[in-house]
Amino acid sequence: MKKMPNSKILNKVFLILIILPMVFLMVMPYMWMITASLKERGHVSEPPYLIPTTFDFSNYSKAWNGAPFGQYLTNTIFVAIAVVFSRIFFGSLAAYIFAFMDFKGRDLVYFIYLSTMMIPFYAIVIPLYLLINDLNWLNSYQALIFPRMVDAFAIMLLRQAFISIPREYIDAASMDGSSHWHTLWKVVFPMCLPSVITSAVFSFLFIWNDFFWPFLVANESNLRLIQTGLQAFTGRYLTEWTYWMAGTVIASIPPVLIFVFAQKYYISGLSRTGLK
Amino acid sequence: MMIKSPKVRSTTFTYILFLLPSFLLLCIFVFYPIIEAFRLSLFEWNNPSRAPVFIGLENYSNLFADGRFLNSLKVTLIYTVGVTSVSILCGLVIANLLNNKNLPFRNFFRGLFFLPTVTPTVVASMVWIILFNPSYGFVNTILRNIIASPPNWFSDPKWALPTIMLLGIWRRLGFTIVIYLAALQNIPREYYEISKIDGANAMQSFRYVTVPQMIPTTLMLTTLGFIDSFLVFDQVLITTRGGPGSTTEVVSLFLYTDAFTLFKMGKGAAISVVIFLIISVITLIQWRLVGFGSYEDVA
Repeated sequence: MKKMPNSKILNKVFLILIILPMVFLMVMPYMWMITASLKERGHVSEPPYLIPTTFDFSNYSKAWNGAPFGQYLTNTIFVAIAVVFSRIFFGSLAAYIFAFMDFKGRDLVYFIYLSTMMIPFYAIVIPLYLLINDLNWLNSYQALIFPRMVDAFAIMLLRQAFISIPREYIDAASMDGSSHWHTLWKVVFPMCLPSVITSAVFSFLFIWNDFFWPFLVANESNLRLIQTGLQAFTGRYLTEWTYWMAGTVIASIPPVLIFVFAQKYYISGLSRTGLK
Repeated sequence: MMIKSPKVRSTTFTYILFLLPSFLLLCIFVFYPIIEAFRLSLFEWNNPSRAPVFIGLENYSNLFADGRFLNSLKVTLIYTVGVTSVSILCGLVIANLLNNKNLPFRNFFRGLFFLPTVTPTVVASMVWIILFNPSYGFVNTILRNIIASPPNWFSDPKWALPTIMLLGIWRRLGFTIVIYLAALQNIPREYYEISKIDGANAMQSFRYVTVPQMIPTTLMLTTLGFIDSFLVFDQVLITTRGGPGSTTEVVSLFLYTDAFTLFKMGKGAAISVVIFLIISVITLIQWRLVGFGSYEDVA
């Protein structure tokens, strides 16, 4: 056994000592939130603050019963599944064209698609709201789903994955008389599952964390999504902080789980929002 | 030609079949609304039961004479510059620490830094409200041991905006760290070896090797961060609703209030167009600086 040189151990200790306070600042709100959610009602401002010592789960049942959280979760998951599915379905179709088909003006069309990523939602929100109103879609699932069914970022991710497939696979498939539809779903799509998962993760988190649009168009109790539901809940239980925190823990679990288990996909997608 | 034509027809059919659904959806839910926003901004429309009245550019001239609007631009700009610059500076330092091979549990730490970024804004805002509550919040409980009267945070006109900015930085940092880490791993090892041979210490090689190599990434994070922060809304609506006074009234909240609570749709559309133009300018700068390639290899 080789002994580690002292300076290396010192170096390690030094690095840990620098990074720990920063990690603490980042994690502290979480520790505090979990601790508060387990405290007895009205005891939020008493120590200990960051490490739970009492485990009063009644806050969770109070929060759960204080607002139709079950309904919020069902709504959110329903909308999320619809949006994820359609973004991948329509996105794959479009990405296939941009990856494999040659026609005049293709790059221009692709550019127009990508340019939609640059349009801030606040720039279109008023006409979009009026449109949904004209369609009589206010307070409906359609309002939450339809405007979100196509996403240029998903198309970009999928196209990038598609073009990395060797051309021979596509040519071989079409030689065998395979239709484009068949080539896409039976040959191309299965080879690009990591990118499919990445866009699914992004779309799910987008719907889960979304607030402004649902707040505008579907803010009725039976149609609220998890974030709008949470916001309405805090309005009703103004200073019931232990309940609040139970609610926030519930609303944080899915994104955190997704991040823990699909971190690889998430990070790879994130890096592509920025890097070449 | 005769032999080719069925194939050509089937290809055209494929284009239509594959591209039409997404194209139609984008037309209805993105292109139509953005054009409509420009059109509507030329009208006065303050009453849903009456027809809009054409007033030309009057909404714009009114906006730029409106102190509340100018204030909202200023507040947004302060927020944006603060959040973007601090998250970039801290992100660069922390990414370098996390990139150090001697640091144990690197992936675990990276995950912890990233956690706030996936946290929903509503959740984070609620946690912030209680953490920074003047009498019962954790922050002041601790601060009272150090200073006699800590600030009232969200209800103090001086501190409300910085408190929201802190939330923004907390949520943004994970992103800058991840992007910087990816960029750091792209620096060829030889650069560091050469600087070591030249007798540079750790600080010097950070200054002369790492920092210059990080310039493109930093420019990109600056523009992306600007766009992201400029559109802040949820946190402000939930924590302060723009108050106290209008010290935290960001431009998106101003738009929301005028269009959706006062039904000034024409004025709201004009604000939309201003937001759109500001973001477009930043995006164009982004493309000039790092190329459209930062979004994709289009060309």
